[in-house]
Amino acid sequence: MMLTAGTVPIKDMPLILGRVAREGDFLVVDAKRIPCTQGTGAMISAALSTTSYLGLDAPRALLVGDIGEGKGSRELYQYLIDHIAELSPTVLALHYWLPDMSQTRQLCTTIEKCERRPIMIADAASMYSAKAAGLAEAFDIFTPDATEIAFLADPEATHPAYIARHLFETDISRAPELAQAAYKNHGAAKLLLVKGATDFIIREGKVLATITEPDVPALEPIGGTGDTITGLVSALTFAELELHEAAIIAARANRMAGKYAEVTPATKVRQVIAQFPAVFKDYLCQWSNVCYVKGGN
Amino acid sequence: MAVLKRQQKMKLEGGGLVLFQEVSHAMAAEKLLKAAGYIVRLVAPPPELRKGCDLAVEINLVEQPGIERLLKERDMDYVSIDPIKIKTAPLLDVVKVTDFGKWVMVKAGNMKITYEKNSGVIVNVSGGGCPDIPYLHAELVDKRLDEAPRPKDLGFTLCALNLDRAFDECLTLFSGGNPK
Repeated sequence: MMLTAGTVPIKDMPLILGRVAREGDFLVVDAKRIPCTQGTGAMISAALSTTSYLGLDAPRALLVGDIGEGKGSRELYQYLIDHIAELSPTVLALHYWLPDMSQTRQLCTTIEKCERRPIMIADAASMYSAKAAGLAEAFDIFTPDATEIAFLADPEATHPAYIARHLFETDISRAPELAQAAYKNHGAAKLLLVKGATDFIIREGKVLATITEPDVPALEPIGGTGDTITGLVSALTFAELELHEAAIIAARANRMAGKYAEVTPATKVRQVIAQFPAVFKDYLCQWSNVCYVKGGN
Repeated sequence: MAVLKRQQKMKLEGGGLVLFQEVSHAMAAEKLLKAAGYIVRLVAPPPELRKGCDLAVEINLVEQPGIERLLKERDMDYVSIDPIKIKTAPLLDVVKVTDFGKWVMVKAGNMKITYEKNSGVIVNVSGGGCPDIPYLHAELVDKRLDEAPRPKDLGFTLCALNLDRAFDECLTLFSGGNPK
């Protein structure tokens, strides 16, 4: 089972857990409609698009309403701490929440004691708190962008707002150098998918792959196009691809979906997500040798 | 049979300190913040950070903007809010502007706002990872810069604070000013 967890921007929405389905422009979880917009909604939507194409079980989602006050975030992490052993997912993708180092520590400690440890993927503030708590190495994949890799490289920073200026004022081409610093400082997961004008797949400080094509600069301003990469890599990992293969295909698919959608800076992320089935149909076999799935070519 | 489970006391590894001139101010602020639902505690600040009294309130640094707003709304005197780690860099104030022709993207820290040059309509908000960002995305997108709410007035986290810096720069650019 693939479990995704994060907050959604619906004030006071109680904690819900359920299989994800799609209803028009919305996701439906436990009979609640979740907007498919920037954040956890975009991440889950991309994951669902992938599992649907591959004929896999839809992701389960643990969601709570939180507009920044933190109450929902604390409930969500406490639920995970209390129930992760019985949920026993094979892939756990953690996303938006109000970062709390103590709860992250409790969750990682609990997972270490689980009979079966899930593949752990973190993005957004779940990645921030994992790094800030010194627990980055407990995770299998982080998906930082250019600013966030600088944050991971800064040994003192507990949030990207407080990274050292000399680290921030670098461009994506220095990602390998920053990744090496992050690994040295124990601030990186086992595998990094660094999202930017060039996407870097880095393991233990070594660059395994770079992806530059297709070049679609207008993807950067679109809120949620980093979240979709996290959803893609999570679902492809759930499909039992090797982690680095999943990361490479996720980066390629996201770019290609942007190209198919003919994005501008004003495009909405749901328009990009809508292109994933067509991208998979045209390229997944070529990229992964996963060629005989329902709907595949 | 109903089983009563004692709620676990929330631990705090906050990373931030609110510093005060007076002990009484620190105690009053702690009471106010706890009543508002924040997880905080009274602590002694390290000597390097002492700017007044020997009592500070430890907070989750990510919640700095929401806490600052509440303290100001209630006229609570405080000196500053600082990261506990002494070597931590000051709050990042670097802003980058990218021209996309019809649109311009402004990036402050980990946050980006993109607006249409002619109309000033915000077309996208991206970056960040805190829970107020998807909320702010919903509140800001498709609104004109001069009609949209300020991220710092609605947000609670450092991501929102960075978004507000980007917003401020967007306002300057849209009104014909030069980038800072």
